[in-house]
Amino acid sequence: MKKLLSIFIVMALVAFSSLSVARTASAEEIKMIGTISKIELAADGKSAVATLKDNKTEQDVVITITDDLTLEKFKDHRIVEGDEIRTKYDSEAGKNISKMFKKTAGC
Amino acid sequence: MSNKILALLLGCTLLATTAVAKEHPGKEHILKNGYQGPKTCEECHPGKAKEFLDTVHWKHASKVDHVDNTDPNTEYGMKNRIYTLCNGNDIVNNLKEIPANAAGKRKFSGCNTCHPGDHINDVGSTGAAAEQAIDCLICHSSKYNYGKRKPEKDSKGNVVMTQDRSTEAAANIGRPGIKNCMICHETAGGGALIKRGLSMTAKDEVHISKGIICVDCHQVKNHKFPTGKDPNNWANDGVFMTCVGECHTDKPHKDADYNKHTAKIACQTCHIPKTGGASSKDFTKWAKQENGFYEPATLKHEVNETNPVYAWYNLTVSNTPHFIGPKGSRTDGKSKIYPFKIYQGKGYYNKLDGTLLSMDFAPPTATGDSLAGVASAAKILGIKKYEPVPGWQTVYFASSHQVTPKKQALICSSCHAPNGVLNFKELGYSDKESDKLTNPEIYFDKLFKIQQENEW
Repeated sequence: MKKLLSIFIVMALVAFSSLSVARTASAEEIKMIGTISKIELAADGKSAVATLKDNKTEQDVVITITDDLTLEKFKDHRIVEGDEIRTKYDSEAGKNISKMFKKTAGC
Repeated sequence: MSNKILALLLGCTLLATTAVAKEHPGKEHILKNGYQGPKTCEECHPGKAKEFLDTVHWKHASKVDHVDNTDPNTEYGMKNRIYTLCNGNDIVNNLKEIPANAAGKRKFSGCNTCHPGDHINDVGSTGAAAEQAIDCLICHSSKYNYGKRKPEKDSKGNVVMTQDRSTEAAANIGRPGIKNCMICHETAGGGALIKRGLSMTAKDEVHISKGIICVDCHQVKNHKFPTGKDPNNWANDGVFMTCVGECHTDKPHKDADYNKHTAKIACQTCHIPKTGGASSKDFTKWAKQENGFYEPATLKHEVNETNPVYAWYNLTVSNTPHFIGPKGSRTDGKSKIYPFKIYQGKGYYNKLDGTLLSMDFAPPTATGDSLAGVASAAKILGIKKYEPVPGWQTVYFASSHQVTPKKQALICSSCHAPNGVLNFKELGYSDKESDKLTNPEIYFDKLFKIQQENEW
């Protein structure tokens, strides 16, 4: 009986940890294409919050951007409101942190 | 005080002076008088506008003398070339408002979107109006507002490309910075990381991490840009560059064995071990995007995600409808082994003469109908008889950027092993030679000694 209980506990732990890993993995990276409706640069210029309308769901998604290259593009208007963006972001603790933020358009 | 310290101090003083001197000497004049386009630049730099009209950046073409099946009296470039990375050019994909898609949406699109004119004065235009249409500031200003540069229709219905000609942009000019180059070169070939997977950041390119920028290597004189000889980028300003010069000698290593390699192995082969960007595109299949427009189906890769192919290259180019790539051999005395980004594109060929047909992207972008794009391009180019049949083309691009830090470059065992990156047999070596070249006998003692020295 003791042995059976141990096996059950081990199985339960394995199942729980697998679910946790899966949940973490799915939270790791979300990909989206959407159009920027609003860009708000922080006063210190070290971050920005962009609101994008998801092309698929038509829902607004708010993404925080901290990488220098994209921030520079906001500052000199290489990326502006109305641009369509291909983005990857992490969704953690209710905040979407950009990992990639590029215009879809090319020549 | 020793002479050495004096020299050091003098050097630092000169550096500080240079840093301060970077501000454009005409700044006060521009702030006082405003900016009226190139004629303001010409007050101090007479003749520069006319000079610029005779460059590849303006003409998007030049004569070429190193490519098979080209006419020495014709200029080639993105103005008129047809190959499967783009499958169009400035002529058939001239900047225009494309037809409405199923949702009624329109947008402007065209290969010459990046041309530094106003579109009325377009690729290769000449004369006084063209000179005054040059967007000098897009390359020279660090404060250019790119939001002001966009295509729109004027009162006559012509598509014009607007420019930032503000005093603020004009007052902050100098040598082009990385972003001035990348505003166009980052999205070449249909979007970010398509053509070459080009990323000029400190993380992805060792020169940038050391503060070296694009124009430090591409040292421009009279608006003529030196470049390497890419098998697929034919247009050139008649000036060429290699790694060897001001910064690197032809014997750049401390290790004599490595230096021996430079006679037959290009620098890029060991120092650019990865490549990236699109590996293939199918222009016969256009995929619907989430925004309702269509794009050619493309297999994309990140920066440094894919492996290059290696081939002998004597800086001349094989150019046929199904292959554009390096010519050369182990025995011609001129070739070195170079790395290439390999790309394969599918388009329509004309069954009647075997040539690759061009495609106007406007119809398929709106509806996904690739053959409507071929029909439109044929009309623009005056091709009356054609039978489109699908086919693939292989293109080799030079792999000349994304130079890796020294410690991540290829070493002896990267190539000289049975699973090494070089396929010696395909490169023209006999079985016996290949066996020898892939055996550790040729470097074992040396690497073992280095390993022992570094072990603790």
